[in-house]
Amino acid sequence: MADTMTATRPAWEELTESGDGRQLRGRPDWTDVLFFIILSLGTIYALVVYTNSMDIYEKVILVLTVPSVVWLGWLWRPLRTMLVISALTILFALWLYDGDIAKADTSFFLKYLFSSQSAILWMCTLFVVATVCYWVGLFSKTAAWLGTAFTWGAVYIGTVGLLVRWRESHLMGPELGRIPVSNLYEVFVLFCLVTALFYLYYERRYATRALGGFVMLVVATSVVFLLWYSFTRDAYEIEPLVPALKSWWMKIHVPANFIGYGTFSLAAMVGFAYLIKENGETRSWLKLAPLFILGVLLAAEPLVFSSGKVSATWMIYFGFGAVVVGTIMAFRGPISRRLPSFEILDDIMYRAIAIGFAFFTVATILGALWAADAWGAYWQWDPKETWALIVWLNYAAWLHLRLMKGLRGTVAAYWALVGLLITAFAFLGVNMFLSGLHSYGEL
Amino acid sequence: MAQLPVVGAQQLAPKLSKSSLFDLLGSMRFAISLLVIICVASVIGTVVPQNMPANTYIDQFGPFWFEVFSKFSVWSIYNSTWFIVIMAFLVISTSICLTRNTPKMIRDMRSFRENVRGSSLRAFHHRVELDSPRDLMASNEAVLGWFKHNGYAVKVREEPEGMLIAAKKGSSNRLGYIFAHASIVIICVGGLLDSELPVRVQVWLFGKTPIVENMLIVDVPPEGRLSASNPSFKANLLIPEGGTRDNAVVNVGDAALVQPLPFEITLNKFIIDYYDNGTPSRFASEVDVTDPDTGKTFSQTIEVNYPLRFKGVTVYQSSFDDGGSKIDLLAYPLSGRQPGPFELDKRVGESVVLPVGNTGKEVRLEITGLRTINVENLLDGEPQPRVFADHVAAVTGSAAGKRDKNLTNIGPSIEYRLIDDSGQATRFHNYMIPAELDGASVLLAGVALQGQQDFKYLRIPADESASAIEFMQLRAALADPDARAEAARRFAFNSAPEGANRVALQESAYRALDTFSAGGLQALSEFLELNVPEAELPRAADVVIRLLGSTMSELRGVARERAGLPALDPNEPDNVQWVQLSIGALSDLRFYPAPILFSMKSFDLVQASVFQISRAPGMLPVYFGSLLLVIGIFAMFYVRDRRIWVWLKRNDQADGTHVLAAMTSQKRTLDFNREFERFKQALSRLDMKKE
Repeated sequence: MADTMTATRPAWEELTESGDGRQLRGRPDWTDVLFFIILSLGTIYALVVYTNSMDIYEKVILVLTVPSVVWLGWLWRPLRTMLVISALTILFALWLYDGDIAKADTSFFLKYLFSSQSAILWMCTLFVVATVCYWVGLFSKTAAWLGTAFTWGAVYIGTVGLLVRWRESHLMGPELGRIPVSNLYEVFVLFCLVTALFYLYYERRYATRALGGFVMLVVATSVVFLLWYSFTRDAYEIEPLVPALKSWWMKIHVPANFIGYGTFSLAAMVGFAYLIKENGETRSWLKLAPLFILGVLLAAEPLVFSSGKVSATWMIYFGFGAVVVGTIMAFRGPISRRLPSFEILDDIMYRAIAIGFAFFTVATILGALWAADAWGAYWQWDPKETWALIVWLNYAAWLHLRLMKGLRGTVAAYWALVGLLITAFAFLGVNMFLSGLHSYGEL
Repeated sequence: MAQLPVVGAQQLAPKLSKSSLFDLLGSMRFAISLLVIICVASVIGTVVPQNMPANTYIDQFGPFWFEVFSKFSVWSIYNSTWFIVIMAFLVISTSICLTRNTPKMIRDMRSFRENVRGSSLRAFHHRVELDSPRDLMASNEAVLGWFKHNGYAVKVREEPEGMLIAAKKGSSNRLGYIFAHASIVIICVGGLLDSELPVRVQVWLFGKTPIVENMLIVDVPPEGRLSASNPSFKANLLIPEGGTRDNAVVNVGDAALVQPLPFEITLNKFIIDYYDNGTPSRFASEVDVTDPDTGKTFSQTIEVNYPLRFKGVTVYQSSFDDGGSKIDLLAYPLSGRQPGPFELDKRVGESVVLPVGNTGKEVRLEITGLRTINVENLLDGEPQPRVFADHVAAVTGSAAGKRDKNLTNIGPSIEYRLIDDSGQATRFHNYMIPAELDGASVLLAGVALQGQQDFKYLRIPADESASAIEFMQLRAALADPDARAEAARRFAFNSAPEGANRVALQESAYRALDTFSAGGLQALSEFLELNVPEAELPRAADVVIRLLGSTMSELRGVARERAGLPALDPNEPDNVQWVQLSIGALSDLRFYPAPILFSMKSFDLVQASVFQISRAPGMLPVYFGSLLLVIGIFAMFYVRDRRIWVWLKRNDQADGTHVLAAMTSQKRTLDFNREFERFKQALSRLDMKKE
């Protein structure tokens, strides 16, 4: 026996070889190393050239971004590809700008594609097209594929728009420069990007495009809001920051928060899909009514927010939303047959809420640390803080019941959907109805 | 007690009362109920504005509901006793849960559960069973190797008929639970330490008495002063420029306690920087801090986001105020024949009682604020409708603004209140220098009646010296019958040719002035409606307006003559406009809710900085708890725990091994299923004879 052991490979290697053909991610390879080197060089360049524009914390954040992005790129290769193409586009746009903001109106590429506002409008368009494609895609594979392609396109051009906006803010005046996550308009763009990216990740991981239409409904809603916000309120204009917001904390607090908001919304829409699937063959109106009401309620949320006087835009939007919800419910049979299994829906819902909860926790803590510097107390029951706590407790309870009591299925799905109502209020409603320290971005 | 829901099953009746209470307190159901109450209370706290003056609530809810809500401290819900008690129960509940489960979890974490019986593995849902042609040792080696490669910790129990391999991975997942729950306790306790509770305990137990009435800090008795070594407080401190303070004020409800500071702080200068659009870009206070223990002084700039931390106390820039700026006021009486102005020197924050003419009444003037910069958008109108293509074009391109903004600094302004005999307070907001509005130079005088938020502005035409003096002279002339008669006479003389009926014209002009003087434009229009047939009304109104305009021009001439000013050409467009504006303003003055109008002649700015000063012993625990919470949550979600048992039984007949394996996890997600599939396939390779 001894010589058989020495003569051949260790026995476990056979066992390993045989089993796992579905490694989700490979080992880091030379492309990751190259990516790391390029990012590091870029960072060093920024640290050398703009050394006086950043304080030590901002430099630390910048340096830590490099391994995080490399890690994410290794975890999910398509993200890396997207980032590389976006970066090249952004460099092209910056080269076109050549330090002069007015070039946005004269250079063809800037005017129609890569200036921040044009890019963000393209993002809006592509997201809406993608939503339609995904819905058609339930019945046509080509359309579903197009949905994915357009979503990637929207994420790409949205990233370009947001980052070019960063540069534009600096071009507009030295004291105006700031990271584009500091008002309601900018965070809405961020929200669209984060939600879409998470969706694309799950789409690939679970190999299903059937959820695209559902998740993209939230993104399309945000797009409608964005358009309304820029068309009627000129919200896209870069305004100077109030003193309390001038801090490096914003660079980590806001993105962490929006990972939370994005994944919570995603979970809610998957919950909606779950309920549609569950009621696929239901004929009883009594069972369908709560779902319909909840769907319409979500569509009505912007209506509630529009500060008293209801504008025609939102009335049309609400009507359209109700029709969409009604149509989905009318076609629940065929839709439900094309949705992935309950198990997968449940798993996505859990994963999204888990990751959202983790990041929301981090974001809330970062917010508290920032508040300690800016307002003199890490917690003072400001409405935004309080609502963040309520959102946090809501999902904490959801996770407790799931992990401890094995909560699954209908209740979990309804709860996730109601969670979106609460999240949306914390995100938008607080800014609109309740005065407080977070009252930037009023409507 | 017996009716309380029993959480642990199979409780014995005699043990019920004590242990079931313990169970209840530690149960998740109880914790979630508490959380729901906290959520609801929090929602109420965000919807009802907190810590406002009682009057605001009485206005909003009425006296009855005010009383009812006051019982539940709805106005400061987060500091109410019941809220704190619920928080305390939450801490207790989580602690009980933690103490009960931690030992179990740690034991479980450490244990390989290798004492499981081989055959019992068949009861698991995720299991594999197969016969391997290899002998026991070879199988064992292969399995152990696979475990090692996949990062499992392994324990082997040898039995006469085979061996049981117990493997586990990701047990620190359990630490996640412990960390996350311990962190909640730590954060809540830290938070309680930094709440109002410590100060209130001092009020209850150590006889501290908050001061209700206004008094100087030096006059505050010892029971109104907290100790300098007070471990936890949140105080406010206002320092005017040039002032030095070593005491701050802790608010307790409507009253206050004095908090001595461990150092002296002197405000040298308060700075506000502005962006181009007039919004502040920076608030900063340049201070000197002196440590009385060492006598050393150092200078520092305290800014928003950059507090001062010294001797365990943190000083934040929280706000700013007026530190008693000196203001030279001009007072214009709004009735009688005296045009004014009378001069008055006051400081911001001061008040004075003034007699109202000869009426015997009095008003109290309170100077409430001085603003040195007012950047306003003077073109603020409704956005014009645009076609869709223009809309799109307008929002493309760079993020630079395309809106036509006419932001102008219209100079300093003063805010004051006048309180009459009946206690009605009216707020006023008057600008010091004229603003250009619709092509005319006007002084804006704002009024907000009690209960109104926004100011309504009276536009007073400015004179050559950019003041309201000439307008006020015109007002005084209008109030004087002799001046009115003289103006009517001059009007008749100048506008009718010699020999015409000047007397009739003079009569009409005098009556128009008289009516206007008594009741403004409204009285004129009422007069016309009574005396002119409806068909001729527009034409008559036109005539009267022109008559009034011309006569007022003459009245202006009379007023200027009296004031010793040179005569003007009444037909010059500027003068016509001035008179038109005056007519409007004089007519509006009838609704001006005060007998006197104050405007600012000059000022001497003294600013004050408002600091929030706190000692927060709970801060470190809270931060530590937060760190634990983050570690705990990530461990809970992303450390996946797995246990595998492999029971290898010697199969003597076939000279091989019978393999029975089972896998389990806390969280049976799809990932787990996948991992089990991988394990199953790996194990199935044992099926083959080793080459």
